[in-house]
Amino acid sequence: MSYPWPRLVVVVGAGGVGKTTLAAALGLESSGTGDDTLVMTFDPSQRLKDALGVGDSARDHEVEVATGSTGSLSASLLDARETFNRLVSRYAPDEEARDRILTNRYYRHLAGSLAGVLEYMAVERLYEVSQAGRYDRIILDTPPTRQALDFLEAPARIVGFLDSGALKLALRSWFDDSGRLRPTARLGRLGKRFEAYLDEVVGLDLLRDMVEFFQAFGPLYEGFRQRAKEVESLLRSEDTLFALVAGPGEEKIPDTLYFARRLKEAGYRLGPIVVNRMHPPAAESRETSPAVKVPPVDGRSLLTWLGERDRRGFERLVSLVDQEQPVVALPLLPTEPSNLESLSALSELFSRHLAASQVMPATPR
Amino acid sequence: MSSLAPLDSQELIVVTGKGGVGKSAIAAALGRRFAAAGRRALVLEIDPRENVHQMLGVSPSGGEIVAVAPRLYLQHLEPRSVLDQIVRERVRIELLVRRVLNSPVYHHFTEGAPGLKEMAVLGHSLILVEGRVPGAPEMDVVVLDAPATGHGLALLAAPLLVSEVIRHGPIATMASEVARLVASTKRCGVVVVTQAEEMPVTEALEFVTLLQSRLQRQPELILANGLYPAVDQGVQRRIEDPVTCLWMDRRRLNEYQLERLAADWQGPIGEIPLLPLDRGPALTAALEERLEQL
Repeated sequence: MSYPWPRLVVVVGAGGVGKTTLAAALGLESSGTGDDTLVMTFDPSQRLKDALGVGDSARDHEVEVATGSTGSLSASLLDARETFNRLVSRYAPDEEARDRILTNRYYRHLAGSLAGVLEYMAVERLYEVSQAGRYDRIILDTPPTRQALDFLEAPARIVGFLDSGALKLALRSWFDDSGRLRPTARLGRLGKRFEAYLDEVVGLDLLRDMVEFFQAFGPLYEGFRQRAKEVESLLRSEDTLFALVAGPGEEKIPDTLYFARRLKEAGYRLGPIVVNRMHPPAAESRETSPAVKVPPVDGRSLLTWLGERDRRGFERLVSLVDQEQPVVALPLLPTEPSNLESLSALSELFSRHLAASQVMPATPR
Repeated sequence: MSSLAPLDSQELIVVTGKGGVGKSAIAAALGRRFAAAGRRALVLEIDPRENVHQMLGVSPSGGEIVAVAPRLYLQHLEPRSVLDQIVRERVRIELLVRRVLNSPVYHHFTEGAPGLKEMAVLGHSLILVEGRVPGAPEMDVVVLDAPATGHGLALLAAPLLVSEVIRHGPIATMASEVARLVASTKRCGVVVVTQAEEMPVTEALEFVTLLQSRLQRQPELILANGLYPAVDQGVQRRIEDPVTCLWMDRRRLNEYQLERLAADWQGPIGEIPLLPLDRGPALTAALEERLEQL
């Protein structure tokens, strides 16, 4: 590969910008240059699954894609719930501790509802696979978040949440070690009101489930914390590069810049920014300001307007980022890639445009 | 009859859809439409990154109810503040209120209790239309700009979930009132915004299935937003005119996905074209006009 992609590539960006397709295209290119490559993704489109020839068998497993290239290409679909369960099993000191968590009512609701679980499980899985060392390169497609930063903050947030210390301490006065409500006579009037409030407003049943969960989680916490630290340092290492994918148009620029800045500030290595799905400039590049009549919209003038909008947005973005920051424009395709051929055409276009921007990723200080 | 007609008598309209499909713009346009028709309407936004104000051409609401135009209001809501308010109403002793609000138990609870924040948002909508928000006028309709689809369902299913784990007290009462509101097709409408592309259509259809199985109801309307315009008969495909080729290809893709949507969903589908306008009041007005024509 002409661009120095490291061992781990994390593709980030808002939803609906084509992250998954680009991740697959990168994977294809990587395997084409002889590197054994794994693409990890969340549920991708049927079209892309067809293109890669993987089905539900790839859920939480790695399935090899028949590419005929020198390196192998594998794909894996992430399953957050499975990963979480596996982690619990790994760090639980014994079967009883494990089952206490896995059957806890609060835990069963938790995995689906707590913001960041999906994101955390993605990096967790990345770590697992990278430790196993079976691949020369791993490309991680991240879940669509409205705020792309959620992804990076997830490990810290989950660990903070699981840090049962604060909660256990706070709940100590209300529950004894077996999770039963203590007699609260000694708490005084204010305390009684507080307890009465808790019972009345939130219901002690739920609180008891939560206490049980955090108590059961206690022995696992250290393992989780240690793991989250290692995941963090892996993501910040020389081995990892982030590719930021954005939609076209000036409207998207503040989000893109914000995310790029936060990545760098937090010590991650930002590779290329990809402005995807750009409408092509019209041949007769006439200035089309709001003069375009709204109803009815003719296709050609709409496309001209969109081409102009996207060009303006791209130029503005380039003018606002550091000079050495590669920014790559990729066009809106007539159809989404639906087979290996069209995926490979996209990856060729990507690397050609990337080579043309001729800037290598900077090392964080 | 307009496919929007059922919405005209409902009190809560939940606008849901995958991220990036133009949900906020549609929510703002619906708010404008209701206000223009003489109803007092409030557009409620819960995404931490405010953007509905941009669509309506006003400054960020900062949590307050802001009057945008005659009969049209906007509020950006932090779900936690609804729960804090319940604590204030319930506890009443300032010292104790602070103790509760600052306690890690409360904090973890509101962050971690399944469905609680989502239920609070719906609860707030309910008291808005019932005129029970102190200092705020009684709203005829609340348009809720919901989070992306997966979460959109979590939002609608939240009252049931909360009822399951919290059995008594004010939160339980609110949850059961809200569950009744959401289940009533007379009072609550669901509008799914999507785009005629593979993933958004797949997600919209998944949402319809889940809504049916979890809440035994259907959305009122699916809006296919951002469609490339239909290609007139006279338009020629010429290789040296890539712009027209792209237009034709994307339109064909749109039509294929619209067919796919219609094959699995028998309810009304509203088609909204891609418009040559940047995000802002002009776009919202143009969308309102398009909605009017459905």
